[in-house]
Amino acid sequence: MVSSPGKRLISLARREALWAYAFIAPWTIGFIIFTIGPMLASLFFSFTDYNIVDSPHWIGITNYVNLFNDDLFWHSLKITFTFAVIALPLGLVFSYLIAVLLNSKIAGINIWRTIYFLPSVIAGVAVALLWARIFDPKFGILNPILANFGIKGPGWFSDPDWALSALVIMSLWGVGGNVIIYLAGLQGVPTDLYDAAKVDGATALQRFWYVTLPMTTPVIFYNLVLGLIGTFQYFTEVYVISGGTGGPARATLFYNLYLYQNAFRYFHMGYASTMAWVLFIIVLCLTLLIFRSSEIWVYYEGQLKSK
Amino acid sequence: MTESLKTPLRTKPARRRFRGIQTQTLILKSITTFILAAGAGIIMIPFLYLLSTSVKDRDQLRQSPPPLIPMAADTVIINGQDEPLYEVTMDGKTSQMALIKFRPGGKAWFVDPTNPDQTHELVIADQKELRHVKFHFENYPEALKQMKFNKLLFNTLLVTFLGMAGMLFSCSLVAYGFSRFRAPWLNILFILLLSTIMLPSQVRLIPTYVLFNKLGWVDTLLPLIVPQFFANAYDVFLLRQFFMTIPLELDEAAKIDGASPLQTLMYIIIPQARPALVSVAIFHFLYAWNDFYEPLIYLHSPDHWTLAVGLQTFNALYAVNTNYIMAASAVMILPPVILYFLAQKIFTQGVVFTGIKG
Amino acid sequence: MKNKLFRMFALFVLASMILAACGGGAPAASAEKVKVVIFVGMGTGTDPDQVEAQNKLAEKYNTTHDKIEIEFLIVPHGEYATRYLAMLSGGNAPQLVGPNGVSSVAEFFDTWEDVTPYIKADNLDLSDFYGAAVELNTYPEKNTGLPLGLYPSFLFYNKDLFDAAGVDYPTHDFNDKSWNMDKLREMAMKLTLDKNGKNATDPDFDASNIVQYGYDDSWDGMRGTLADWGAENVGRPTSADYKTATATSPEWEHGLQWLSDGIWKDHFIGGADVQKGRDSAGVDPFGPGTTGMFYSHTWYMAEGLHGLSFAADIAPFPFNPKGNRIARIDADNFTIPKDAKNKQEAWEVMKWLTSPEIIVDVCRIYGCVPARKSVQSVYIEQLKIDYPGIDYDVIFKSIDYLDKPNNEEWIPEWGKIEDALNNGLSLVYSGTEKDANKVLTDANAEVQKILDGYWATHK
Repeated sequence: MVSSPGKRLISLARREALWAYAFIAPWTIGFIIFTIGPMLASLFFSFTDYNIVDSPHWIGITNYVNLFNDDLFWHSLKITFTFAVIALPLGLVFSYLIAVLLNSKIAGINIWRTIYFLPSVIAGVAVALLWARIFDPKFGILNPILANFGIKGPGWFSDPDWALSALVIMSLWGVGGNVIIYLAGLQGVPTDLYDAAKVDGATALQRFWYVTLPMTTPVIFYNLVLGLIGTFQYFTEVYVISGGTGGPARATLFYNLYLYQNAFRYFHMGYASTMAWVLFIIVLCLTLLIFRSSEIWVYYEGQLKSK
Repeated sequence: MTESLKTPLRTKPARRRFRGIQTQTLILKSITTFILAAGAGIIMIPFLYLLSTSVKDRDQLRQSPPPLIPMAADTVIINGQDEPLYEVTMDGKTSQMALIKFRPGGKAWFVDPTNPDQTHELVIADQKELRHVKFHFENYPEALKQMKFNKLLFNTLLVTFLGMAGMLFSCSLVAYGFSRFRAPWLNILFILLLSTIMLPSQVRLIPTYVLFNKLGWVDTLLPLIVPQFFANAYDVFLLRQFFMTIPLELDEAAKIDGASPLQTLMYIIIPQARPALVSVAIFHFLYAWNDFYEPLIYLHSPDHWTLAVGLQTFNALYAVNTNYIMAASAVMILPPVILYFLAQKIFTQGVVFTGIKG
Repeated sequence: MKNKLFRMFALFVLASMILAACGGGAPAASAEKVKVVIFVGMGTGTDPDQVEAQNKLAEKYNTTHDKIEIEFLIVPHGEYATRYLAMLSGGNAPQLVGPNGVSSVAEFFDTWEDVTPYIKADNLDLSDFYGAAVELNTYPEKNTGLPLGLYPSFLFYNKDLFDAAGVDYPTHDFNDKSWNMDKLREMAMKLTLDKNGKNATDPDFDASNIVQYGYDDSWDGMRGTLADWGAENVGRPTSADYKTATATSPEWEHGLQWLSDGIWKDHFIGGADVQKGRDSAGVDPFGPGTTGMFYSHTWYMAEGLHGLSFAADIAPFPFNPKGNRIARIDADNFTIPKDAKNKQEAWEVMKWLTSPEIIVDVCRIYGCVPARKSVQSVYIEQLKIDYPGIDYDVIFKSIDYLDKPNNEEWIPEWGKIEDALNNGLSLVYSGTEKDANKVLTDANAEVQKILDGYWATHK
C-alpha cells in the first residue's frame, strides 16, 4: 500500500495481464492439446515425401519448388482468387442489405427472417442435388426464367465457362449465415441513437449512413475476415457438385479441392501439406492487411486504448 | 436519459415532421415487404423441389421432364404385364385402352383390357395418356427407418447440446479475455487463434485422427464434444467483436462498485451481448447438426453416427436415393428452423440502452 | 437458485460425457473371438438395403464360427479414401477391404498384403475361379486378394424405343461380324429423336431439342471408354514398362473421335448437360427410358434394372474397327491391408466369403457375377427370379472378351493420371474441345509429365 505510484501501475498492469491470460486459458490449453501438434506435424510433412502409408522422408524444399512449377497449382489458385474477388464482396453487400431489410419493423418479420434463414440450414448432399437441379439447362427453373427475358441460359455446371458463375450464385443463396450475424449486429445498435438522429431530422438514408453503418462495422469486419478465410478454403460444395473432380474440364478445380486430391487421391500428403502452408501464408498476410486497415474503418464503442 | 430525448417530440413542429416521417416509413415498409417477398420466393423454390422429390417413387424420379407434382400413369395388367392406360378415340367413340407395343411411325398397338387379343394400331399422339397424382408419403417413415433416425437423433442432440454448452462457456471467457484486457502478446495470441482456421483442415486430419486414436476416443462422440470446451476461433472472434461494442463505462462502473472481472462478465457483458450469444449458439447448432466431415472420420460403427452421416449413406456409389435424401433432409431441416424461429424472441428484444455517452 | 441450476447443469454435462465416452467400448463381451472388420465403401455395398443384407451375412457367420467374429464397417462412398487412410495411419487398419473394384485396388495398391503365401500355405485351388477374375488380382509384385465377382459389360437396350423406331434389336450372336461400331452408330441415330419426333438421320432434325438419345456410355472414364477400340495397350495409357505415355494411339484417337462426333456431329450421344441433368435428378442413363442403348456392366442390373417402365434386354458389345471384340470388364475383390492385425483370420474370412457355398449369396448383395465357374447354374436360377426375361448368355459370354491390360488396373500415379485423362473426356463431353487428336495430344503430354515425375523419384 505504501509503494510508489509507478510501481503500483506496473502491478496493476501485470494484474490485468494475468486476468487476460486466465480468461484465454481454455483456448490456450486446447490449442496445446489438440491443435498445435497436428499443425506442426503438417508443417513437417510439407518438407517430406509422405504418402500416408509409409513413413515420411525428408526432402527439404523440393515440394515448394515443385509447387511453383505445377500448372494445376497456378490454375487452382487463379480459380480460387477469381471466385474470392467476385463472391466475397457480392456476398458481404448482399447479405448486409438483406439483414437491413430484415431488421425493419414490418408485419410477420419473424417469419421473413426464418425463411431467409432456411438456406443455411440445409447442407451436404441435399444442397448439391437441389442446385444441380435448379441449374439444369433442360428441366431446371433458372433457364426458363431467363428465357422470359430473351436470354438463352447456359449449361451452368456442365459448361466450363459458366460453372464458376453458377457457384457464385449458389454462394449468394447461402448467405443466410452472414445475415444472422449482421442481424445480431443491427440489433445491437442502441435504439436511442436512432431516436436522437430522428430528433435531429436525419432521413432514413442518413440514419443508415451515420448510425447503422458505423455501429455495425465490427460485424462487417468479422464477416470480411471469416469470409476471406472461408472463401480461400472453399471446398464442400464444389466437392459434392463436381463429384470431387473439379469438373467440367477443371473449371471448378478450387485450391482446396486440388489439395484434397493430392492428399487423399494421389497420396502426396507431403505436397498437399506444402499447398496448405502456402495458402496459410497467403491468407494470413491478407488477414493482417485487413486488421491493419480496420484501425481506420472499424468503430468499437468499447475499445481499450493502448497505454 | 431517454425521457429527456423524447421531450422535444411533444413540441408542435416536431410532430408535423413526425407525421411526414410516418408516411415515409409506410412507403419504406411496403417496399421492404415487397423486396423481401420476392427474395423469399426465390429462396423457397429449391425447397419446393425438395418437398416434391421427397414424395416421389423411383418411377416418378425417372420421369423427364420431372413434374413438380408427382404423377403416376394409370395401368392395367395385360397378360401378366403392367401396361399404361390411354383414353383412346376410335371411330368417334372414346374408351380406355392399354398400350402394349410401340410401332414405327409414332404408332402403337392398343388393346381393350376386356378383350386383350384384338389389337388396334393407332397413332399415339392422338390418344390421351391417363395419369393421376400420386404422393409417396411412405418415403418419410421408410427413410427415417433406414437411417435409424431415433438412434442417430439421440447422438446428434448429445453432440449438439453438449458442444454448445462447452462452446458458450469457453468462448465467452476467451472472448472476454481478448476484448477487455491489455496484456503483452495478446494481439499475437489472437492472430494465432485465428490462424488455426487458416490452415486447411485436410492436412491436419490424419495427425488429429492419430491423436484421438491414441486417446482412445475414436468411435466415441468425444472428439466431437470435448474440443468444444476449449473454444474455437469462429465463435471467440464473433463474441469479441460484440464485446468490443459494449461501452467501457459500464465495466468501469462495475469496477468501482467492487465487481471482479468475472462478475463484470457475468452481470454486465453477457446480458448486453445476448444477440451475439444467441447467434453463436445457433451457429454452433447448425454446425454440429450438419457436419458430416469430422463425424465421418471418427465415428466408425453406425450406432455412433450422427444424422448428417446417416444422410450421407443414402448417397451410395451407383444408387442415389434422391427421394430418401430429400425426405430425410426435410425432417432434418425442422429442428434448426424451429429453434431459430423461437430464438427470434431473444433477438428482437435487442439492446435498448447504451452507454452514458457525452 | 442460480447456483443450484448451474450445478444441475454441470452434473448433466458430466453425466452425458460419461455416456458419450462409454458409447465406444460396449461389445467387449466376446473377448475370445478375434474380430475381423470388413471395410465397405470403396465400391458398392453402402446402399441401405445392402447394409441390411451384410448385417445378416455377418450374423450368419458369427453364429456358425467360434474363433472369429466379423463386422461390416460401412463408410459412405464419397469419403472412403479419407477414412481408410486415417485408419491406416492411426494404426487400426481394417482386416479386410471389399468389395473392392480393380480401380480401388489400384488406387491403394501399395497398401495391400500379398496373399500368395496364404494361397500356397493352404494349397488353395484357384482353378474354379474364372481366369479373368484371377488375372485381375495378379500383378508382377503381388497377388492382391481373392476375387468375389466379375462385372462383364454389354449393351442394355430399350425394346420399346427400338419398336417405335422400327429398328431391329441388336444381335445376340457373338459371332456376327457385321455387328460393329458403324452399325451401332447407324442404329443409334435412328433411335435419336427431337421433340417433333424426327430422328437424327432426318435432314430436318432439330439438334437443339433432342428428347431421346440412341446411345450412352457416360458411366465410364477415358480408359474404360477407349479400352474396347483395340489399341496395343488396350485399357492402359502407358507402355508395358510404365515409362511412356501411349494415349495418342490411333485406336484411342479413333474411338474418342467417334464419341465426339457422336455427340456433336451425329447427335446420338448426350453431352455433359444431359449427364448433369440426370445426375441432378438422381437417375441413371437408362432408367428414364430416353436412351436406346446403354453400355454398362452387370452392376447396373443391381442398381437400375428393377421396375423399368419399358421392356429391356441385353446384347453383346459390337466388334471394333480392327475386327476384334473387346468388352471391358470390372471385378470385385477382397483385399487385406498389410498393416492390419490378425491377417491370418482375415484370410480365413476372405476364403469363406469367396467359397462356393456362400459366394452366390454375397454376390447377390453386390450385383456381380460370382467369380466361380462351379456356381454358375445356381446363379442363373437366381437371375431368373431377379431379372426375368433377359438373355443370360450374354452375361457369361461377355466375360471372354475382357480388356487386357484392364482399363482400371494399376499404373504409377493411378489417380493423377486417371484425372488427367478424364479431364480430356470432360473437354469432349462439354464440347470445349471436339478434336480427339488435340485432346489426346494434350492429355498424353500431361500423362508423360506425371510419369517422368514418378520415375524421377522411383527406381
